[in-house]
Amino acid sequence: MATEQELSDFLKSVERRAYKRSLYHVRDDEAALDIVQDSMMRLAEHYGDKPVTELPMLFQRILSNCTLDWFRRQKTRKALFSNLNDFEADTDDGEFDLLETFPGATPPEETESAETQTQRRETLAMIEAQIQELPARQREAFLMRYWEEMDVAETAAAMGCSEGSVKTHCSRAVQALSKALAAKGIRP
Amino acid sequence: MMNTTQFEARTAQDRFGTMIAARLSEGSADLPYDITERLRAARMQALARRKVEQTQSQAATFLASAGGSATLVFGREPGGNWSRWTSALSLFALVAGLFVISAMQDDDVANEAAEVDAALLTDDLPPAAYTDPGFLQYLRSAPASQP
Repeated sequence: MATEQELSDFLKSVERRAYKRSLYHVRDDEAALDIVQDSMMRLAEHYGDKPVTELPMLFQRILSNCTLDWFRRQKTRKALFSNLNDFEADTDDGEFDLLETFPGATPPEETESAETQTQRRETLAMIEAQIQELPARQREAFLMRYWEEMDVAETAAAMGCSEGSVKTHCSRAVQALSKALAAKGIRP
Repeated sequence: MMNTTQFEARTAQDRFGTMIAARLSEGSADLPYDITERLRAARMQALARRKVEQTQSQAATFLASAGGSATLVFGREPGGNWSRWTSALSLFALVAGLFVISAMQDDDVANEAAEVDAALLTDDLPPAAYTDPGFLQYLRSAPASQP
């Protein structure tokens, strides 16, 4: 059973990423904060007595459900359809060779000047913008898999889909991101 | 089986994903102050809610275990129906016991009064009774009232 301190440490470790992830989905600061708060409270209230090792998976599922709930609660027809349609699986099967666009390993870190910092911020903003452009399922799979560092099986369990779907979503997300960033001359 | 090209693509994909994630982590590290404070407040609220739940369950356990005060937990704990039935039964037993005790005491008082009356009626009349004006009056009126 997780102690209060362990639960607090866990929430502290995930809260920023959870906020950003929600923000990528809903594109609204207040809504993202509400979703994270709701998720934290649901976790603490219903699963606060679970072992610490189970908390990450539970939290990911709760966060996904809370995000989906937020979309469901949206009143206007336009908001409902424009966002929920993103959750539908996309079906384009165009061939794409990642190695053609992927430049390889990053160069060693250079001393950061003000110009470099500005450039990094701009790069980050463009990356975030491109992530927001991804279809919701692709974005979810990509962020869970690489940002939350969950393996394919865990991501599949959290998303409620097969491992094959996770691989497909991740692959397409990476292709879309690398294409878009390469088109803007950005190297992650 | 995965061929070499697919494996390389997968590895490159993973590296790309990891690099993007590293960039995102940098971005999430310097969130605005008001956002981090809101997140901290949300965390505290979540932890507080967990604490309240624990305190409530402990209090319920304590009250339930304190036999005589079972009525205090009416409707507040999961096993409320059981407590309600137990308490009702205890109350019924208490009221029934009071009635029995009351009836027994009434009987005792009546018996004692009857014994005193019987002793007086069967005992010899003391001579001093004839000097009592009330008794003389009784003797005079008694034959008249008898059939």
